[in-house]
Amino acid sequence: MPDPQAWASLPEQPILEVGITVLAFFAAVRLARWSGNNPFLNPTLIAIVLVVIVLDVTGISYTTYLRGAAFIQFLLAPTVVLLAVPLYRQTALIRASGGLIAAALLVGLPTGVLSAVGIAWALGASKVTLLSLAPKGVTTGIAVGISEAIGGVPALTAVLVISTGITGAIAGPAVQRWLRVDDDRVTGLAIGIAGHGIGTARALQISEVAGAFAGLGMSLNGVLTGVLLPLAMRGL
Amino acid sequence: MLEAIARVIVWLALGEVLTRLGLMPVPGPVTGLVLLYLDLVWHKALPDDLGRLADRMLALFGLLFVPAGVGVVAHADVLRAEFVPILAAILGGTVVTLLATITSLVLIRSWAKRRKQVSVADPGEADARA
Repeated sequence: MPDPQAWASLPEQPILEVGITVLAFFAAVRLARWSGNNPFLNPTLIAIVLVVIVLDVTGISYTTYLRGAAFIQFLLAPTVVLLAVPLYRQTALIRASGGLIAAALLVGLPTGVLSAVGIAWALGASKVTLLSLAPKGVTTGIAVGISEAIGGVPALTAVLVISTGITGAIAGPAVQRWLRVDDDRVTGLAIGIAGHGIGTARALQISEVAGAFAGLGMSLNGVLTGVLLPLAMRGL
Repeated sequence: MLEAIARVIVWLALGEVLTRLGLMPVPGPVTGLVLLYLDLVWHKALPDDLGRLADRMLALFGLLFVPAGVGVVAHADVLRAEFVPILAAILGGTVVTLLATITSLVLIRSWAKRRKQVSVADPGEADARA
């Protein structure tokens, strides 16, 4: 007879939360592949929707889930460090693309900040919301710091940053197909600048060149926005 | 493989320390990325194990953002007050940024290519005239 105590240990370990997340992502990847990697069937977004459905059906609270899933989130830090590998493999191409990289940041950084703030302002958003939106294209850790520095709400910014990343991961490949962009450096830079880490995750599926340039765009955009945006706000 | 994992964790830890000390204006993992990159450039070699580890982990990069995305749903009430302007800013702003960046880079690239072709063609034309 199986030990009835065996199940009791499950909720004490993050097996359930990690399991739900991994299975949801597995199903999402299968679905994305089956659709021929349709940009709109983004694995991360589908997995999020599946997890939310499972939590709603089973009654597991978000707090419990997020505590257990923190184990997966921890792996994000060493994986970001590993982005150095595609960058290193593409070092020669990156060195030869200095002008392209500079131009991407010159256009992408101000467009990212001004388009978001401009659209929200035109639709009557409050000043706090505008300040929280300004760093939305930057990777979470930097964006939250900027938001704090310029008078936004860091918690709101964190939500906006993740939403932006998912949007960039979906719209990036869609725009690439629509405009028939044949240079993965261009696609990668644009996705990294517009959609930071989540965009970079998607760009890595296009090619290693796209992934490396997305990681580069994300990092440089993060650093420059972190330095320039608080300075610009002080000047206003 | 153990050596590759240790190398990543050491640079990550050092990155966190440098960032917390205020020596780097970016989060710890990004500092770790820069440190590992400099390490690779310094040694001028990428061990097979480290390359494989990176390929495996980066293939799962999208999975690692799922908890954060669920967190967005959990905290969706912060969006409720100004939902329409925020949604428009995120969707519109991100698409505009992609379009502006991609279009300008494509234009710059074709302009650079044309200039190269002209400068290559020029001496030939001069020769023909001579």
